[in-house]
Amino acid sequence: MSPRSPRMPHHERMRELAGRLTAVDPDAGAAVQVITYFDRLAVDRAGLESLVRGAAVLAGCPARLVDDGRRVRVRVRPDGVREDGGPPVGAGWPSAALEPGGAPALWLERTTGGPSVVDAVILERAAAAIRDVLDRTRGRAPASPADDPALLETVLDATVPEATRSRAARRLGAGPGTRVRALASADGRPRVLLGYPDAPPPDAELPPGRLGVGPAVDVLDLPRSWDDARTALRFTADGTARDPGPRVVRAEELGGVALLAGLVAPGAQPPSDVRALETAAAGAPWLLATLHAVASTTSQRAAAAEINVHHSTLQDRLTHAEHLLGWPLRTPQGRLRLHLALTMRHLARP
Amino acid sequence: MTLVPPPFDPELAAALELIGDTVSPGITVDQIDAFRESTGIDAMAGIDLTADGHFEVEDRSVPGPAGSPEVSLLICRPRAPRTPGPLPVIYQVHGGGMIIGNNRVGMEGPLGWAKELDAVVVSVEYRLAPEHPHPAPIEDVYAGLVWTADHADEIGGDAGRVLIVGGSAGGGLCAALALLARDRGGPRLLGQMLLCPMLDDRNDTPSARQMAGLGVWDRTANETGWTALLGDRRGGPDVSPYAAAARATDLSGLPPAFLDVGSAETFRDEVVGYASRIWQAGGVAELHVWPGGFHGFDGFAPQAAVSRAARAAQTEWVRRLLGG
Repeated sequence: MSPRSPRMPHHERMRELAGRLTAVDPDAGAAVQVITYFDRLAVDRAGLESLVRGAAVLAGCPARLVDDGRRVRVRVRPDGVREDGGPPVGAGWPSAALEPGGAPALWLERTTGGPSVVDAVILERAAAAIRDVLDRTRGRAPASPADDPALLETVLDATVPEATRSRAARRLGAGPGTRVRALASADGRPRVLLGYPDAPPPDAELPPGRLGVGPAVDVLDLPRSWDDARTALRFTADGTARDPGPRVVRAEELGGVALLAGLVAPGAQPPSDVRALETAAAGAPWLLATLHAVASTTSQRAAAAEINVHHSTLQDRLTHAEHLLGWPLRTPQGRLRLHLALTMRHLARP
Repeated sequence: MTLVPPPFDPELAAALELIGDTVSPGITVDQIDAFRESTGIDAMAGIDLTADGHFEVEDRSVPGPAGSPEVSLLICRPRAPRTPGPLPVIYQVHGGGMIIGNNRVGMEGPLGWAKELDAVVVSVEYRLAPEHPHPAPIEDVYAGLVWTADHADEIGGDAGRVLIVGGSAGGGLCAALALLARDRGGPRLLGQMLLCPMLDDRNDTPSARQMAGLGVWDRTANETGWTALLGDRRGGPDVSPYAAAARATDLSGLPPAFLDVGSAETFRDEVVGYASRIWQAGGVAELHVWPGGFHGFDGFAPQAAVSRAARAAQTEWVRRLLGG
């Protein structure tokens, strides 16, 4: 299009507006116009082509966006016409990256004149708005979405509207109808687990450390799976002599025992049987591991094997422990009381 | 009841932020002089009428209405027409709310079509209100049309293929011109192109109320324009359809019409209503309502996607009409 064709005056006018302000207040005035323009586009959630067109119109030269990672190529001429392609990227063209420190992705095809403050403002505002659109519509390319804490918070929060959670779930790779599990870990970082709709995953396929595994649910029920996972986490233990017990607890395997979690507040004064356990353990370092073995195996022989002691040694230890605790450990009722005390000890953890 | 206005198209809203300091939605009667002196209208008129030498430009004075001054016609003829014989004529009536503008305003569309489709453009200068109330403007426009049809051969035009086109007030004058030509047995018209036309002095449609204080040319500005043209008769019982075409009770026997308008402007409902009434009268009309468009959006923000769609629709209609 020739510079003096009948339709030219309109772009002239748009540019004159920027130019007029430039004359009044060099660069700053035009910069304000540029900021106003892109802010308004962002508020109205304008798409990529509108943003690239805005850069081209305000700069008065073609603008191009190339993000091969996200398969985005948009080039718009200053008269507003979309025309992908164009010449190879020029060495001197002003450009901007979409991420700090990233490669250039947005160019103004400015072939004459040096870099200007207005060009820099156009590029900065357009790139910021483009980044928001890409994040919103195509996911954040470089980092894995599963590591985005904001996305995870969104899908796990029941107070967030369903449509928003649904969008966030899609970006995590979980479309509508997908069965997923929430994972609660001792470091407090939430995770969402895909791909185990039926049986919970084996320990080896889970991250290290104490973990509560929530039940498999539809993505929109993740807040419930998350609640259950956090409850399950309270039943876990480090698996050491000082803190024997399971590293991973699956919410669906707890059954009615899960109700205990509601009765024992974390960090509060523990029930008397738990206090008795703590007092006894203080003077007998073997006590907790031995009692855990007894509570979690099917026979005293299996318990002895579990902690690598002779059967008679185990009997001696149990006699000593019964004396310290004040209740029998070799009757069915006594074993249940022991099991409850060991479990509540984890639940009382601050 | 609160009237919620339709949102502006995002690109148009952003453009409106930039032009907001030169274009305000409302203009009152006492602001007419300042409005005329503002730079906006000059910018609209400041185009190269030769289109890089493609057109030969002539300013010609022709007889005006009986007892009135001559009328000035701006005539743009292709220097080297590609088609032999007389060319179609695009008769252009400028906009400006009946109170501002000149015959160099609004020429980019007609010149673009004329360049592409080989046509002559004639743009008429008419006297403006309030100094020259109705019927001065429409009679000047009619006199220019009669001369153009009678002297078509002098300007390389074909009297049988005259298309009238106007935007805003020019669109309203074109609608009235088609009625007047029909009723006086004047020149036969090939088509009428009414771009966001100003048709109804009553100024009380839902869109007029909805868009008050917003965009370009709101209800207040519209009242100013119509009052300048009609004085106390504005909105009253005895307004001529040749002043406000929406007042016409008979819309039969009119040339094919093209109408466009934005969904977010004062004129939306009167334009939609006018198109419907043409169809109801058995006529031919093509109507485009562009979502989120403010008044004259395709002129103010031609790069926007919706503006380019609107202009493409205009061009295509002219191409079909001229059989090109």
